[in-house]
Amino acid sequence: MIAAALTPKPVRAQGIDSVPPWRGLVRSIAIDERLATDAGLHLGDLVVLASEPGRSGGDTVRVSAIVRRRADPSEVARSEYRIRMHLGQLQELIGYGDRVDRYAIATTGGVAADSALRHINALAFGFHAYPSREIAVETSKTFVVVSRFHRAIGIITIVASATFLLCIMLLKVDERRRDVAAMRLMGISRATVVRTVMLESSFVALLGSLFGVGLGFAVSAFVNAHYQAVYRTPLRFAIVTPGTVTYSVLLSLVLGVGAGALAARRLSRTPPLTLFGR
Amino acid sequence: MRFQLAALSLRRHASRTLLAVLGVAVSAAMLLDMVMLATGMRQSFASLLGRNGFTIRVSPRGTLPFDTEATIGQARDATAAIGRIAGVTAVAPVLGTTIHVLGGREPVSAFALGVDPAVQGDYQLLEGQDPAANGLVASDALLRAIGARIGDTLDVAVGFDPQLRTYTGRRRVVVSGRARFTYLSATDRAAALELASVQAMAGASRSDRVSLFMVRTAPNVDPEAARVAIERALPRVTALSTAGAVAEAEHRLSYFRQLAFILGAVSLIVGFLLVTTIVTVSVNERIGEIAIMRAIGVSRSHVVHQIVIEGIGLSLTGAAAGLILGVFTARWLNSILRGFPGLPDAIDFFLFQPNSAFRALGLLVVSGIAAGIYPAWRAASLPISATLREEAVG
Repeated sequence: MIAAALTPKPVRAQGIDSVPPWRGLVRSIAIDERLATDAGLHLGDLVVLASEPGRSGGDTVRVSAIVRRRADPSEVARSEYRIRMHLGQLQELIGYGDRVDRYAIATTGGVAADSALRHINALAFGFHAYPSREIAVETSKTFVVVSRFHRAIGIITIVASATFLLCIMLLKVDERRRDVAAMRLMGISRATVVRTVMLESSFVALLGSLFGVGLGFAVSAFVNAHYQAVYRTPLRFAIVTPGTVTYSVLLSLVLGVGAGALAARRLSRTPPLTLFGR
Repeated sequence: MRFQLAALSLRRHASRTLLAVLGVAVSAAMLLDMVMLATGMRQSFASLLGRNGFTIRVSPRGTLPFDTEATIGQARDATAAIGRIAGVTAVAPVLGTTIHVLGGREPVSAFALGVDPAVQGDYQLLEGQDPAANGLVASDALLRAIGARIGDTLDVAVGFDPQLRTYTGRRRVVVSGRARFTYLSATDRAAALELASVQAMAGASRSDRVSLFMVRTAPNVDPEAARVAIERALPRVTALSTAGAVAEAEHRLSYFRQLAFILGAVSLIVGFLLVTTIVTVSVNERIGEIAIMRAIGVSRSHVVHQIVIEGIGLSLTGAAAGLILGVFTARWLNSILRGFPGLPDAIDFFLFQPNSAFRALGLLVVSGIAAGIYPAWRAASLPISATLREEAVG
């Protein structure tokens, strides 16, 4: 952790390898957009870095780049600042000696990665090499839980909306009892009545689901704008995918047609005069 | 009489009534769950932090406790300075680090806390004794991982020097107790040692340093005043009261609170719409019947009451069913969210609080009453003779 003298909040610093020799020069650092905005920093500004607030003898460095962070879900709730600086400078500043926290190793492909991993772990004593996918699995556990929670909420929402839709469709069809009675008395067959009512309910369900899709797009745009502002991240929180649209439209159609068929069958079996209330 | 008529009217369309009650029940369950989610996290977290009477946490300036590896220097002086502040009754210094238990095929890593056993608030002893100079209390998960029991001697180290290929800060310690760690999950491998032992094992970089102070204040003292006094006395630290910590956690978890608010509001609207639709359709179907009642001298208020009672009946039955359904779904959702890695055992996302729960369900019932008022008023205001004629002619 490094504390910049001009801001009371500590910043997370990441050291990166650089070209020696650098002593005697004003070194440069890259800062993230969030820190630049909050501290009012601009390119070329000089700042003093210290490993603790108020510690004397910090390093004076120049801001040479302002970087935008990647959309990383694992960082979203952390409101920390970040700077990138030269590895040797950071080691010296925090008294870390010739040490690093980790290495990232690039290989040429899948097989090369596996053999490099085996080779490093066979040679290494006191540390361990992991494949990137394993680290990704470990660090994404939180999001797996959030995803499971969303799925559960989705199931409850689907049950609630299905019940609501079923109820409304049954009532809508039930309201047509006099029309159905009139149709039956005119000699229109039961099957035609059922098909007409089902067609009507499918149309209502289709219209409703199209409206719902539009609403979904609007809500997801609002959710993204809101949470991107709250957490100051380019991450997209809600995405309406073709799969989601297909699933929701199909579900509402099935429910609508099902409810329509159920109610229509019941109405068509009731004698027309009973439907008229006679 | 009115209740009887309302009940008969609802029973006349049993399947429709059942479906409406089911719909209201699901809405009520969702509303209840969202109220539990919105208030549960806050209560649960506040109650966790308030355990053992510690009301203030002091961490390196600008950080949250254990959010970074930063430490506070000159810990002895800082302990004394905090202890001198009016209203402070105890100061518990804590240093966090990673230890490696050696001796097995592979070293087992664990989170270690250096504490002052006399004032610590990080663990509850389940068996055995607090750690002495060369002692250690361990969580069940750690004891299981290393296959050790109370009384066993362990070879532990805090670091590793890759150049010399040796462990640093190595020491033999005796397992003096088994403990439950308050702020860690049951699956976390954790140990607590005396603060001086951990500082000595970690070497010069941790000499007279701590990660955090937990501060207990007298019951009649405002923790906020003590917090301000601590920050004034020690400019290198950030002091956080329980209320501040809860606010910070709420900010980080604001997503869940807002999700709860939105879904809760949607549930309320759905419940309202459902009852409105059912009652309206039911009234439309019985317009002739209502006109006859009016014609034989039944008062307008009687008609309104009967229809409103139908709405209340639907909402109340749905809310009662929703209460049971909501408690079960909350348990299910809570068990999902409890899967967050490293979540302390004491944290619950869904907490049943009777006041909030009944207020939310009361709101649903009130919306049910409101849902019945309009169709009832409309039905009772219809011109009797015209309605009867229309119904008779068709």
